[in-house]
Amino acid sequence: MAALQMSREWIGIQQFPPATQSKLLEILDKFKQEDVSSLTVLVMGKGGVGKSSTVNSVIGERAAAVSTFQSEGLRPTLVSRSRSGFTLNVIDTPGLIEGGYVNDQAVNLIKGFLLNKTIDVLLYVDRLDVYRVDDLDRQVVTAITDAFGKEIWKKSALVLSHAQFSPPDGLNYDLFVSRRSDALLKLIRAAAQVKKQDMQGSLFPVIRVENSGRCNKNESDEKILPDGTSWIPNLFKTITEISFNGSESIHVDKKLVEGPNPNERGKRLIPLIFAFQYLLLMKPLVRLIKSDVSRESKPAWEIRDSGSASRRA
Amino acid sequence: MSKFAINGQLILLPEVSTTNSHLPTPRKHSAPSSSHELLNNAPSPRFPSLICCCSSPNRNTEPSSSGHLLKSLGKSLFFGSISPAASQFSSTFSGGGGGGDGGLWRDLFSLATPVAVADEKHSPDWDSHGLPANIVVQLNKLSGLKKYKISDVLFFDRRSKTTAPAEDSLSEMVPIHPGEIHTKAQLQNDLETLTSSGMFEKVDLLGNTKPDGTLGLTFSFVESTWKSAERFRCINVGLMTQPKPVPTDSDMTDREMIEYYRNQEKDYKRRIDKARPCMLPGPVQREMMLMLRDQKNVSASLLRRIGDRVVKWYRDNGYAYANVTNFGSLNSKELVCEVSEGDITRVVIQFQDKLGNVVEGHTQIPIIHREIPKQLRPGHVLNMKAANQAVKNIFSLNLFSNVEIIPRADEKNEGGVIVEINLREADKKSAEVSTEWNIVPGPGGAPSLESFQPGGSVSFEHKNIHGLNRTFMGSVTTSNLLNPEDDLAFKLEYVHPHLDGVYNSRNRIFKTSAFNSRKLSPVFTGGPGFEELVPPLVVDRVGLKANITENFTRQSKSTYGLVLEEITTRDGNIQICKSGMRLLPDGGTSDDGPPTTLSGTGVDRVAFLQANVTRDNTKFVNGAIVGDRTVFQVDQGLGIGSKCPFFNRHQLSLTKFIQLKRVKEGSGIPQPPVLVLHGHYGSCVGDLPSYESFAIGGPNSVRGYTMGELGAARNILELSAEIRVPVKNTHVYAFAEHGNDLGSSKDVKGNPTAAYRRMGHGSSYGLGVKLGQVRAEYAVDHNRGTGAFFLRFGERY
Repeated sequence: MAALQMSREWIGIQQFPPATQSKLLEILDKFKQEDVSSLTVLVMGKGGVGKSSTVNSVIGERAAAVSTFQSEGLRPTLVSRSRSGFTLNVIDTPGLIEGGYVNDQAVNLIKGFLLNKTIDVLLYVDRLDVYRVDDLDRQVVTAITDAFGKEIWKKSALVLSHAQFSPPDGLNYDLFVSRRSDALLKLIRAAAQVKKQDMQGSLFPVIRVENSGRCNKNESDEKILPDGTSWIPNLFKTITEISFNGSESIHVDKKLVEGPNPNERGKRLIPLIFAFQYLLLMKPLVRLIKSDVSRESKPAWEIRDSGSASRRA
Repeated sequence: MSKFAINGQLILLPEVSTTNSHLPTPRKHSAPSSSHELLNNAPSPRFPSLICCCSSPNRNTEPSSSGHLLKSLGKSLFFGSISPAASQFSSTFSGGGGGGDGGLWRDLFSLATPVAVADEKHSPDWDSHGLPANIVVQLNKLSGLKKYKISDVLFFDRRSKTTAPAEDSLSEMVPIHPGEIHTKAQLQNDLETLTSSGMFEKVDLLGNTKPDGTLGLTFSFVESTWKSAERFRCINVGLMTQPKPVPTDSDMTDREMIEYYRNQEKDYKRRIDKARPCMLPGPVQREMMLMLRDQKNVSASLLRRIGDRVVKWYRDNGYAYANVTNFGSLNSKELVCEVSEGDITRVVIQFQDKLGNVVEGHTQIPIIHREIPKQLRPGHVLNMKAANQAVKNIFSLNLFSNVEIIPRADEKNEGGVIVEINLREADKKSAEVSTEWNIVPGPGGAPSLESFQPGGSVSFEHKNIHGLNRTFMGSVTTSNLLNPEDDLAFKLEYVHPHLDGVYNSRNRIFKTSAFNSRKLSPVFTGGPGFEELVPPLVVDRVGLKANITENFTRQSKSTYGLVLEEITTRDGNIQICKSGMRLLPDGGTSDDGPPTTLSGTGVDRVAFLQANVTRDNTKFVNGAIVGDRTVFQVDQGLGIGSKCPFFNRHQLSLTKFIQLKRVKEGSGIPQPPVLVLHGHYGSCVGDLPSYESFAIGGPNSVRGYTMGELGAARNILELSAEIRVPVKNTHVYAFAEHGNDLGSSKDVKGNPTAAYRRMGHGSSYGLGVKLGQVRAEYAVDHNRGTGAFFLRFGERY
């Protein structure tokens, strides 16, 4: 856990409008009731989709450095805030894509960073205002699955940033959102190797966020989405739901970081395998050879002679 | 020479059998792996010969190459059969050495000439008969002082009033040939022989004077006939003492005579019962029976025909010493044919020096003895095919420069044969030093003067230690004498055959060797487009190996043993290298790629057990391989070495050569079309350093790709099919191959397959033609869809 990390008091919460604040405190109370003292949220996604901005919006302060036109180094950052005995850890990660490929080094750095931490919730961030799902998306999702196992998708939510977006002409906003999320979910399902029915059982949560300062606000000054929902409390609510959804949190241990050691797999079975090979492959093969030798078509003189020799005896 | 039996005359057939070649007409035969070629070329029709050519292991059997092999290797085996005047049959086998030299042929030829004639040879002249031409003279009218030149010899059957053709076996009984010179005494002697042979009731010899002073001879005869027989029986009387005819007393009363004949009859019955059955197969015996039944009575010529047929069967089947010695039980229901089959009484193994003198040999006799088929041992009937096999077996010991098997008549045991094996031992010790200059590319790629490198090799061999065929050999080779540690290859090997003792029929061979090797790793190879980016990695191995091999057949064997190895991975500058290059997304490289060794230090030490079982039933059908091959190999780690490597690395390879059409076997007949199916599965459980992972792609994996172009994985599966269609005396082929890592590339540490941008699997297909040892093929790489030409040496499967 992030116990070693000095967690600062969560001041940012005060910057939220009172309506939001009260909702958040409600959620915090719920955690207290469940006797949960900390929550770790991992934010991942391609570069430039608004991961850091989302972290900042959630924390309510400029905790993660946002750089608009370039990626912010390769190191993940941990933002840790506590409020009345409850600690919220948000881990912002660098974009995984570089030069058209998943940057293995970045993935390894993230894994190393997460060593001995437990991930309670994964937020997979992508933009809402993109029309297509391409191979890069698939690579990122696969890389996450490879890194943390497919179980992580049970503790995940899809975050669609830039949610205050007007779909192109003639398209309904809700329809666009559902199409966009469906496309991405399909990808995640494939990567997570989860059957569709299983996924529908626990509806994969989709959260829309709008980090822009120009985000519309409602009468209580809460940031709202085009359909009128106030998204920050909604996001917290979803995170809470995920953390209590019954699935195991992902503990990143040495084994997970280094990946399963294929050299260790099945090692205990080696004596058995060798015995099997000796008894069921090599011995029968030698027996077969011996029967070949006895069945070998001998030249006539050999047979004839042995025949007459036996008669002689 | 005539013998009497109880109820009729026994006939001693002439034992002259030599003009019949007892070997099949020219034929060729090749054993799949022994590479012996047998050719039967007869320099003279009288001397069929068998030439065995021993060449380096070579599966080539094309007719064109055999002549070349004969010439180039000059190692041959031949045997000839001759007939000295004593009517004894002798054959010679020889293996190795410069066979077929003229001197020997001459010797054989002179032996072959009947003695009677040879005696006369030195007489330069002959005498004219001095009589008017074209008159018939009785033999007793001829002068005893003159030497007559015979112009022709005729046989006139008085009963059928026909003249028997000269090629009839009759002529073999008479050692008189046109153009020869004989005296009256000789002619009388010959006539006597015929008269007493029992085949004729009456024989007369008439002379026919010719105008040129020569004499034509006519034997006019009446054949002996006996009562018809219904059954035929063939017995082996070899090594049985011939019954001594008890002289009949002219004073015997009739009663005594009857008693005498009865006793003889009893004796003969006993003899027949005691005799061993002969090898003559049922169908041939039935054939004889039918021949007997066809005739109203048994005539001498019928007996002759039967005798010839029986002898022919023996000759055709390699029993060179078999002879019909007698017909018994004449005038009874059952005709008894007495055959002396040629029983081996003794096998003599002797060593000869280069001059042919018998010397004491270094090789221990049991070593040779175990190579002799049991059919060539005392108590068995001499068969030339068995003798031939013995020559091949002994020659394949690789200890003798010359192997000769000569059967001789046993003078002490009538009907017996002594098999004499003459061996010339090859040099026991040899050493060789050679040096060479290598031109290596200079810095610019082109060879420069400074880059001439002196190289050299030293090798020695000590063969046949203690005369037990144990061998110790070693070689050291470097391509750079100035800096030998750069590239030094060595090998020391000790081979100890007959581990279970020379007398044990089981032949396990113990072999131990110290070796090193240096190879480019196919694991650290870039995929398409990245070939240049991935620097080569050299895998150096130094090790000790000890194993025991048991050869079940020439091709099937099992081997198990222990291997101790030190593996060092080096970069292009021969510096120890811990990990391969890593390709960065931006096109750069860094040196923290996949680890090259298990220990991570660049040097691994490991001990493991290695076992291999090969079942190979392939054989050649007119030069095309047909059959099955199964190879299973396992390397079992023992947990001894760097990082205690414990692993089980195994491979199973199955190859099936399916003959698609039945063809006759023989030289000159085209090969059958063959479908080849091949599967190879490899897998490793436990510690797997990258250099032991299975590389996919390459001429022996998936053709059309370079070595390791498709990846390196923990488990692999390769499948391929090839169809071979004969064209003239070679074949063209089409193939399709697939190699797959079964998703196990990621289970190799550092995933070298993905690290170097390789697919992990791939297919190819193509066409090719086999030209001698070279395969020229066009293969299409299915991953990119491009094709390329390749020239490869040797076989794919």
